[in-house]
Amino acid sequence: MTANLRYTITAVLAAGVALAFMPWLLSDFLLSLALSCLMYVALASSWSMFSGATNYLSLATSAFFGIGAYVTAWGLETLPYALAVPLGGVIAGAFAALVGAAVLHLRGAYFAVLTFGLGELVRHSITYFEKTYARTVGRVLSDPPEAVTVYLTVLLITVATVATCAAVRASRFGLALAGVGADEERAQTLGVNTRRVKIAGFALSAFFAGALGAAMAVRWTYIEPMSVFNPFIGFQTVLIAMIGGAQTLLGPVVSAVVFSLFSELLRLQFPYAYLMLLGLLLIVLVLYLPGGIGSLFRGRWARA
Amino acid sequence: MGFWLELAATGLITGGIYALVAMGLNLQYGLMRIMNISHGEFLMLGAYLTWLAHTVFDINPVAFLPVVAIVLFFGGLAVYRLCFRRIARTSPSVDVIEARSLLVGFGLMYLVQNAALLAWGADMRGYSYLADAVEIGGARFAANRLLAFGFAIAASLALLALLRWTIFGKAVRAMMQSPTGAQLVGIDTAVLHPVVFGAGLALAGMAGGLLSMVYEITPSMGEPYTVTALIVITLGGLGSAAGCLAGGLLLGLVEAFGMHFTNPSLKTLLSYGVFIGVLLARPKGLFAR
Amino acid sequence: MHWNTGIKVIAAALCAALLAPAFAQDAPVRIGYAIARTGPWAVGAQMTQEPNYIMWADQLNATGGLSVKGKKRKIELVGFDDRSDAETVVRTYEKLMTSDKVDLILPPWSTGATFAMMPLAQKHGYPLLAPTATGRKLLGMKNPYFFSLLQQPDRMMDALAEFLKARSVSTAAMIYVDDLFGLEQSAALVVSFKEKGIKIVESKSYPLGIKDLRPVLTDIKAKNPDAFIALSYPPDTFLVTAQAREIAFNPKAFYVAVGAAFPIYRDKMGPTIEGVMGLGTWNPKTSAATKAYFDAHVAKHKKEPDRWASAHAWAGLEIMQQAVEKVGLDRKALRDYIAGNEFTTIIGKIRFKNGENISTPGVVSQWQGREFEVVWPPDRATSSALHPKPNWK
Repeated sequence: MTANLRYTITAVLAAGVALAFMPWLLSDFLLSLALSCLMYVALASSWSMFSGATNYLSLATSAFFGIGAYVTAWGLETLPYALAVPLGGVIAGAFAALVGAAVLHLRGAYFAVLTFGLGELVRHSITYFEKTYARTVGRVLSDPPEAVTVYLTVLLITVATVATCAAVRASRFGLALAGVGADEERAQTLGVNTRRVKIAGFALSAFFAGALGAAMAVRWTYIEPMSVFNPFIGFQTVLIAMIGGAQTLLGPVVSAVVFSLFSELLRLQFPYAYLMLLGLLLIVLVLYLPGGIGSLFRGRWARA
Repeated sequence: MGFWLELAATGLITGGIYALVAMGLNLQYGLMRIMNISHGEFLMLGAYLTWLAHTVFDINPVAFLPVVAIVLFFGGLAVYRLCFRRIARTSPSVDVIEARSLLVGFGLMYLVQNAALLAWGADMRGYSYLADAVEIGGARFAANRLLAFGFAIAASLALLALLRWTIFGKAVRAMMQSPTGAQLVGIDTAVLHPVVFGAGLALAGMAGGLLSMVYEITPSMGEPYTVTALIVITLGGLGSAAGCLAGGLLLGLVEAFGMHFTNPSLKTLLSYGVFIGVLLARPKGLFAR
Repeated sequence: MHWNTGIKVIAAALCAALLAPAFAQDAPVRIGYAIARTGPWAVGAQMTQEPNYIMWADQLNATGGLSVKGKKRKIELVGFDDRSDAETVVRTYEKLMTSDKVDLILPPWSTGATFAMMPLAQKHGYPLLAPTATGRKLLGMKNPYFFSLLQQPDRMMDALAEFLKARSVSTAAMIYVDDLFGLEQSAALVVSFKEKGIKIVESKSYPLGIKDLRPVLTDIKAKNPDAFIALSYPPDTFLVTAQAREIAFNPKAFYVAVGAAFPIYRDKMGPTIEGVMGLGTWNPKTSAATKAYFDAHVAKHKKEPDRWASAHAWAGLEIMQQAVEKVGLDRKALRDYIAGNEFTTIIGKIRFKNGENISTPGVVSQWQGREFEVVWPPDRATSSALHPKPNWK
């Protein structure tokens, strides 16, 4: 482990420990705001881990998130929450590996649109399956865990995601991913098994999204395909990561916090026009800060 | 008309509507790599303008289509000038154009959708126009659906001819194959880009106008149409006018026959199955060059 | 600014500050809610729900305010957009209940949103009178603070079966949307029809967001059922109507579910819907109270309320108002009072049992001319039914 990486991971862990006290300091509302921030930090970071490095624009985040949520929906009656969350991640990761093996030879727009279709495909499959075999759609969680438990679980996943991102970036695996992004043929010529690297990266990124879906789902009592395979969760993730600068480590993290807090502030202050303001800001930001928020932080953090 | 022929006609008509929805985006994304995710929002604008003209000013919706096209064309020029010109100029590669235009598209989506909400409220709107059925060979088809289908076919063929046989079309194709090369041989991309983008919005607007006769409209109606459009143009092969039409018709047929032989609930699974199957077999779409 | 005016302003401010405690007991009653103003839920929320909240607060404020145990206090509505997103619903109600500490809450739109915030209502003890949440699963949560105003699926389908039986309908075909609403309604319909001896000759489901149902309707037309029932949502309600007309499928009874009661259904489809039936509860002819409500709504919002859940939303506000008048703003007492008493509302008397509205019967309504007439049960009917349905125009 390089000194740089050790420093980064120590900082992430320290931030995690500090944030773990929040449930006893913040009001219920601020805590759920913090929860939203954390969720998008983790989603945007895990997305950047694969898509930022390889330039494969994946819109499958909402599919992975939804799969995780559904694992909770189906499993929570028999499984403890602590087991359902990693299981959600594992199943989403396995699904990503399976799909990745089939579609990761597609590039650019074809890959983007196909991954978007995945979310819809899984959503309709689950609806059909439930309707046909269980004669119902969606599950009601009668005994969800406490808000504090959910917060700490999401915090743990977030810390793990960001730390993993940092570790991946510093590893041979991370270099191979970046190599795919820079020039896939050249990477292959240099002896990188690009296929295996891509599948592994895609699955790892999906693991975190799935675990988050599994952790967050308990907040909505009733889990149905329509609400958990919400394409906007995926869109928002891509948006945040790109605004932050998907090639950097800190960019998506800062962007997720800023974006979540800012859009909430606008929503509460300007109940009718806030989305227009948000849209306008977004356009201006992309036009005049094309490198993303991450481009503002030069030096150690940007490279870490 | 025999049963099977009627079923095929049903599928083709719906497929024509899918192609209609996708045509505008095919110009922007297929030819210029501008991932305009707010495509559906401009379609919605076209629908609202037509609805407004018909219900408030009692203007014939079909006669109003050219007005919608002109308004959205100039709107498109303005949007291009304000948002996408800078991206096209400052981005080092087409991948970057794609990524940045996606983000700007999001911004436009929020902006346009909420402007419509503030202007017309969230309520569902609609009017009845050409809803009567026309009898063709013993089968009955709603006139407004036939009109949308006919428009899709005519516009696709016109676009195909335009791109293949005119000097303008040659310039557009050259621009698509090599932006720098096109400039080297004297093609003015500074004019061509905004015009193609504006034409994309004009097509989206006309599609919206036609759909407002068939379906009801709301400010949030755009997103599903954007998704449909993306799938259709990817299925057909980006930038190919024939591919866009073929992609739409194929989806319509798969759905109609799928619904008859299996279950409407499986409709979406079938269309995604076909979509993924086609891309696995032909990674650049049906009409890849 | 002159010194003089400055001093006056300061003096006025001081006076206001000194007098504030005197006004404090007349502080407004703060009533909070989150509802969709943007996104896909906004259509329903802005048709059926939020306009009623605004009209209610305005009407009461114009007469001095909400009577809290006989003492009038102004209403201050604290409403936020929930962006059609369950997580935002939860977060906003957390804010309203724990940070803003509002006096009362009003429900969000839709079954899903209600599910998501119900545990909060129980945890913080806020009574919740939901007008757009339906399904036995909601009642199955056994949440003591939850009260459902709409008729449950079995009630609605029983009424439909009785109505059809009384007209000697013997066969029916149905399609239903693939979600909780469609499944609960269709399950209830199967039971009710079996009881009444109506044979279901075809039953198909379809996914949300479908753009073409003609192949299904063609297959059903070939089976020639007496009645056709679509347990549908608004976009599909419009779609099946247009496409049944397109292929000239004209059964004796044609029934569509959600959206049939919307005035836009009549405006979009035109006079062709004569005789189409659907989910409804009331219309302006039901009583003098509904007429007054209808007129006030049109005057205030320049649009008609829908003929089903709008009035249930209004009834929920009336119940809240009557309960606050009686027991004040102690929310536990409010809950007990709502749970234990009968209320007079625009849609008739309402009493709850385990959170279910057990007073409002299942209703069948039918478009006749420009009005969605109630045609079943007979004691609520505003017109006699057109049966068989006339041909599509």
